[in-house]
Amino acid sequence: MDKSTIKEPFSKSSAKTYSLVELVHRAPTFMVDHGPDDTVFAFPLVALLELLLTLGVSLVLLWMSLSVNAPLEEIANPNQTTDPAKAPWYFMGLQEMLEHGHPTLMAVLLPTLMVIFVVLIPYLDNDSHGAGRWFTNQRGKSITIKTALYVVIVMPIYIFLDSMFPPRELLRGIFPDLVSQVIIPAIFMGVIVLLPLLVLNRYHPTPREVMLVLFTVLFVSAIVFTLTGFLFRGPGFKLYLPWAMPGGYNPFSNL
Amino acid sequence: MQLFEPKKLTRGQFLSLSWLSALVVLIGETAFGLMKFLKPTASGGFGGSIYAGKVEEFPPGSVNYILSGRFYIVHTTGGLLALWQRCTHLGCAVPWVEAEDQFHGPCHGSLFDQVGVVKGGPAPRPLDIFPVTIKDGEVWVDTSKPLERTGFDPSQLTPV
Amino acid sequence: MPSWFQTITKSRFWQSFFRHGWPDNPLDRSLVMTTNIFFHLHPVKVSRKSLRVTYSFGLGVMSIIVFLILSVTGLLLMFYYTPTIERAYTYILHLQTQVPFGQLLRNLHRWAAHFMVIVVVLHMARVFYTGAYKPPREFNWVIGVLLLLLTFGASFTGYLLPWDQLAFWAITVGTSVAAYAPGAGPTLRTFLLGGAEVGQEALTRFYALHVMLIPMGIALLTSIHIWRVRKDGGLSANQTVDEDHRDGQKHD
Repeated sequence: MDKSTIKEPFSKSSAKTYSLVELVHRAPTFMVDHGPDDTVFAFPLVALLELLLTLGVSLVLLWMSLSVNAPLEEIANPNQTTDPAKAPWYFMGLQEMLEHGHPTLMAVLLPTLMVIFVVLIPYLDNDSHGAGRWFTNQRGKSITIKTALYVVIVMPIYIFLDSMFPPRELLRGIFPDLVSQVIIPAIFMGVIVLLPLLVLNRYHPTPREVMLVLFTVLFVSAIVFTLTGFLFRGPGFKLYLPWAMPGGYNPFSNL
Repeated sequence: MQLFEPKKLTRGQFLSLSWLSALVVLIGETAFGLMKFLKPTASGGFGGSIYAGKVEEFPPGSVNYILSGRFYIVHTTGGLLALWQRCTHLGCAVPWVEAEDQFHGPCHGSLFDQVGVVKGGPAPRPLDIFPVTIKDGEVWVDTSKPLERTGFDPSQLTPV
Repeated sequence: MPSWFQTITKSRFWQSFFRHGWPDNPLDRSLVMTTNIFFHLHPVKVSRKSLRVTYSFGLGVMSIIVFLILSVTGLLLMFYYTPTIERAYTYILHLQTQVPFGQLLRNLHRWAAHFMVIVVVLHMARVFYTGAYKPPREFNWVIGVLLLLLTFGASFTGYLLPWDQLAFWAITVGTSVAAYAPGAGPTLRTFLLGGAEVGQEALTRFYALHVMLIPMGIALLTSIHIWRVRKDGGLSANQTVDEDHRDGQKHD
């Protein structure tokens, strides 16, 4: 073999073709001189961590199960509707959205768009720089926090105002349902979602930052809608404060 | 001049195509069979043809609830109408409230008039109806296929 | 180590089970991971960065733990349940009042189900905000979204099984929402319910989906999910180690 073609990666001098670096005892030789290595053996550390998590989760669930019973109401009666009739809590965001527009828009089109968007996130933002860091960097963090604050303030106001002055009832008979239940709510939703993007656009955002804004708007909106539907909707699906429900209705009885 | 030059398939291409089409046929058959298998079959009780009562039991202007079929028989001017109790908004059972002279949904406050047309609330369309047939003075309602509609039309009525 | 212990662990019988020695040295610690089917999901060595609690909060592992708890409690519940509208409700009552630990088991299953939805959603948020969906992990993100949808499906189908008012009207409202999908909506609803309304057919179908189809789907996709995590080089946090190192070299 031609010696000049052999490259010794760890050699400082080009004349030196070999060197004794370390005697390896019962360890794979490829680990030697592999650069600064910040790894540990997964066994037993990771196994212990997983055991710890299992114990923790079991303990929390056991404590919860000992203190609160799963709800069970009377046997199902197809002729008598409970008031209010609510979906499981994780679908209450959907049910809350149904209050603010036509079902095809609120329960089908918007959620489908949301799922499609979420699926497409990695294909819209495919720059792998910054992966593995929370919010990528300080600017990402501040964008996320500001967007979340915006949604936490704007969405409840929208929900409240839309319930007080529903276009559906105010415009009934004046405009067709397509206008009052589809077009108007779609414009409201579109403006609320796209407004932070317009603001962000002035600061030359990266694709990652656009994703941060959009995902945060959708994620925090989902939380706001879910909490509103779950906690603040009482009999007749009207808005009440959770602790002041008429008829002694307890939102948590639906869990 | 030949418009379409006959393409020559090699033996390998032909076999690949055969296997591929066999696979497509297999998947197609399976999907078709699966759809047929899972498609609900209507049976007796709710979902079948239900006897609502004698014609005399439904005087003009009355709204009667038929528990077994989960529908209302409405006798309005011009004939009978069978309204499914299921709210067109989210499927809650809508009770007839005599005092308000309307159907009043308890879930989201949808309001319907006597013939099931939306007066208020989030319901997107009138209450669905079932086909009514009158044989020898007996009212039969076919609950297997609810009919959706956009408004009330006298043609929906079954004359007594 | 006591000699009797050595005699056992050095025996051919023991060694036919475990193809590694006592894991107190690098070789055997590696062999534990590579020769054990449960451990082989893990790498032999892990980066300290990916173990940081404030990075992952253990949410992915927690999802699997809760899924296992749900599988075990769910299997036990099956011993005291029949999906018929005449008997389902009385079986639940019987389970709660007559069967020792029956109420506890049902509570565990119920609260674990809610917990799983929360943990899976938080896991998705964590993966998004740490940018862990970026190449080469795009496909694993898609699988994760499917797993989230399956988790909703598992919880939703289970909601009907007690056959009480809560279950009946929640499923009525929930499936009515599905019917609003343009085109296929009403068909989808009828296929799901096995009829026009929530009834025996719906209970049967939801039961089959809840105890078989959806858990199998979750198990399959979870396997692919974890396998992909390994294939893509572990958690994204590992990558930052490499980047720091590379950046450091650049400045030389």
